[in-house]
Amino acid sequence: MIGLAENAVKAALREGAQDAEAYVYEGQASNIGIELGQISKTNRIIDRGLGIRVTANKAVGFAYTNIVEDQKAVEKVVSGALSAARASKPDPDWNGLPEKKTYAETKKTFDKKILSLTSEELVNIAATMLDAAGQVDKRVFPIEGGIGSAYIANAIANSNGVTGFNRGTVIECSVATLAKEGSSVTPVCFEFNAGRTYNLDPAWIGREAAKLAVSALKTKSVETKSGKVILTQFALQDLLAYTLINAIRADSVQRDQSPFKGKLGEKVASENLTIYDDGLFAGGLRTWAFDGEGVPHQKTPVIEKGILKNFLYDNYSARKDGKESTGNASRAGYLSTPGIDTTNFHIMPGTKTSQEMLNEVDDGLIVYYLQGAHSSNPVSGEFSVVATPAWKIKNGEITHCSRGVMLAGNIFELLKNISAIGSNERQMGQLISPWIQVENVRVIGQ
Amino acid sequence: MKDLLTKINNMATQKFGAKYAEARAQKLCKTSLTLKEERVEAAKQGIENGVAIRVLVNGAWGFASVGSFDDAILEGAVSDACRMAKLASARLKTPIKLADAKVVTDCVTSKPKKNPADIQMEDKIKTILSVNKSSLGFDKRIKSCSVDYFDLTGNNTFANSDGTFIEQDKLYVWARLTASAASEGVFSFSREEIGSTAGYELFDAQVPEVLGVKVARLAIEQLNAKSPKGGKFPVVLGPNVVGVFVHEAFGHLAEADLALSGGVLASNLGKKIGSDLVTFYDDGTIEGAFGAFKYDDEGVPSHKTLLIKDGVVTGLMHNRETAQKFKAQPTGNARAEDFRVEPIIRMRCTYMAPRDQSFEELIKGVKSGYYFKSFRGGQANLDGTFQVGIQEGYEIVNGELGGAVRNASISGNTLETLHKVDGVGKDFMLDPGRCGKGQTAFISDGGPHIRLSEVVVGGSA
Repeated sequence: MIGLAENAVKAALREGAQDAEAYVYEGQASNIGIELGQISKTNRIIDRGLGIRVTANKAVGFAYTNIVEDQKAVEKVVSGALSAARASKPDPDWNGLPEKKTYAETKKTFDKKILSLTSEELVNIAATMLDAAGQVDKRVFPIEGGIGSAYIANAIANSNGVTGFNRGTVIECSVATLAKEGSSVTPVCFEFNAGRTYNLDPAWIGREAAKLAVSALKTKSVETKSGKVILTQFALQDLLAYTLINAIRADSVQRDQSPFKGKLGEKVASENLTIYDDGLFAGGLRTWAFDGEGVPHQKTPVIEKGILKNFLYDNYSARKDGKESTGNASRAGYLSTPGIDTTNFHIMPGTKTSQEMLNEVDDGLIVYYLQGAHSSNPVSGEFSVVATPAWKIKNGEITHCSRGVMLAGNIFELLKNISAIGSNERQMGQLISPWIQVENVRVIGQ
Repeated sequence: MKDLLTKINNMATQKFGAKYAEARAQKLCKTSLTLKEERVEAAKQGIENGVAIRVLVNGAWGFASVGSFDDAILEGAVSDACRMAKLASARLKTPIKLADAKVVTDCVTSKPKKNPADIQMEDKIKTILSVNKSSLGFDKRIKSCSVDYFDLTGNNTFANSDGTFIEQDKLYVWARLTASAASEGVFSFSREEIGSTAGYELFDAQVPEVLGVKVARLAIEQLNAKSPKGGKFPVVLGPNVVGVFVHEAFGHLAEADLALSGGVLASNLGKKIGSDLVTFYDDGTIEGAFGAFKYDDEGVPSHKTLLIKDGVVTGLMHNRETAQKFKAQPTGNARAEDFRVEPIIRMRCTYMAPRDQSFEELIKGVKSGYYFKSFRGGQANLDGTFQVGIQEGYEIVNGELGGAVRNASISGNTLETLHKVDGVGKDFMLDPGRCGKGQTAFISDGGPHIRLSEVVVGGSA
């Protein structure tokens, strides 16, 4: 793969590119799918491709293809990228591609066991999960889910001599359930295991998803007021992705789209909040040796004890600010140019267990899933979302479920009102986080 | 291509024991641009070619996708798909069967006035740049603006073991515009989306300079807007919000796969779930609309499907599998984002039919409430809970429009809320959109202005 990338870079330089970068991606996935309570779907997807980014007169062009059969195909992509660049406008802020640096070794990102799983084994795992969900309660219906194993590899080369090759494995096993009783239907309740190495408990997944659905069957309304809310990782993942994460991207800051502009070194959150962007976190779902531009992944302090420490940079935004990239250039495989995104967004755990956190709430809510987080204002951080569902906590006990409860507020206020952080860390997509308890959240009941 | 796809299907049915097989080849070219302020972040073009194979073996689905037209690779893929389907079928309780579909041979060509493939990259950049220039020039408080543009041209070839063979051109032109404004520590953000399956002539109707001003004005207006009060209020919704409301609050529940999954509609077929004023369609036949197409990815012609008539549920959106389960006709709603994924039930152009009231009449009926004109995001759940975020909204006080409100949203349960439709306008608008259900689908949605006697408004004041 590196050979293909290097070859593409050479071809681009030969054709007159000023800077050239080639990114090669390969993904192979096998999935066993659950639909309508049974295992009835399978798929095998192989996707490879090449993306080439070049500049001509400081204008950037990009082309890609998923058919890389011979040298002619490579040359076609090169000429596509160059003609795009030549049609484009020069960018005065363009300041070259990244320089060569050494890469650290990633830990727990490749597991042969995942690749050696046979289709039979995958079917058996899915069946274990499905049976476990069904055994919890007759009212539970597993609507969809499944198990998927994947091999992902990418290679990069650029005209500054950067070359790199990454490979890794991912396995994910999940089930979505709902419970039905008479005409009452619960919201969809979801549970999963996902990791880079083989460590699954399919029976646990099935059981937990089913238990949550059953507990959402009986509902009572809650009153409209401001109060204490515990946000679980599902809710945090959704909410932060559309609010806080925009605010810490260097391009948002440079384009006056972030309320954090000019606030480095200032207190922006409760003292108990520390967040790292850690692209080398052992076993992290976004752990790779380098980013989408071949810059080494690193661990970047974002917020330490409530103080804003750093923004996240790709190479372009870093050079604009006279800084070094933090290794946060992200790509959608071979299909896109790099853009800034988090790697593993790690909210550091506190000391309280889940039980201790619940015990300490006299009157509040615990929220698992949110609906509508993507309708948040990505600039101001204001959100107005539905908890689907929320569970009421009274004197340290979960008393009942409530549907259609809305939560409204502003993420930047919310960060200042964090009153407790759990020790129950878990990984979910880009987020690695424990539960977080927030004071004074506006709750609108039905 | 016909020979190759037929060969794959024959191999599946004759050699590997498939009861049904379909093969879908895609050849697409995509051009895209991202402009931020007056900077072209990158001009991009790409090729996405490949074949999707789907087989039904012993009542279980097998699917394989490869980025290749090579005989040997495709043979491997079809053998993989059949083998895996066979393995999965061991656990089946209810084998999958398909409703009959008419065998079709057709060739669908697009006839754009302006084919995006013939427009030079330079010209596209110039057009998009004028959007951003007019946004930035509108007001000093506009701090940033972006346009993401793409066009897609090419064709899909479909063949199945029933004998259907369809060649169909694909053409999409789309752009999303965003602007952000900041003043005295207050931040705001606005967005607009345009899209068409007709051609690049989209920009003759959607004049770039006008679009730029429109999105900028939305961001500026929000700077002085206040947070709405949370609670139950009567609201008037604009066509843009009605579209998302119909799509999210009702449309997803009317997708037959979700109805079967336990969604609240399955038990309400033929029942009255809304006021007499409520009539909804999902229509794949509106020429040029972003959600329209002639044949779906199972080779079924796209229909105009009546979902609710005068408050009564009349139909669902089907693929061949769900149509068989409901003993209904497939409606042409099986869509795959590209060759990498299998077709699933998706909406096309989903809308509410207009009636006879004027906007003034609708507003006049509200003593204290809100007018929500355009949306930002929305989401549905199978229990009927919906949420629609609002980007542009105003107070209504004593039947008249008042000041602007920001970052509101509405939520409720579909089965309760459709009964609360107490006024429907005579106007009509359809907007393009993209819907996520694991895959992205290009859709349209819309309707007239409507009034809800009561809905929960999520506001922080």
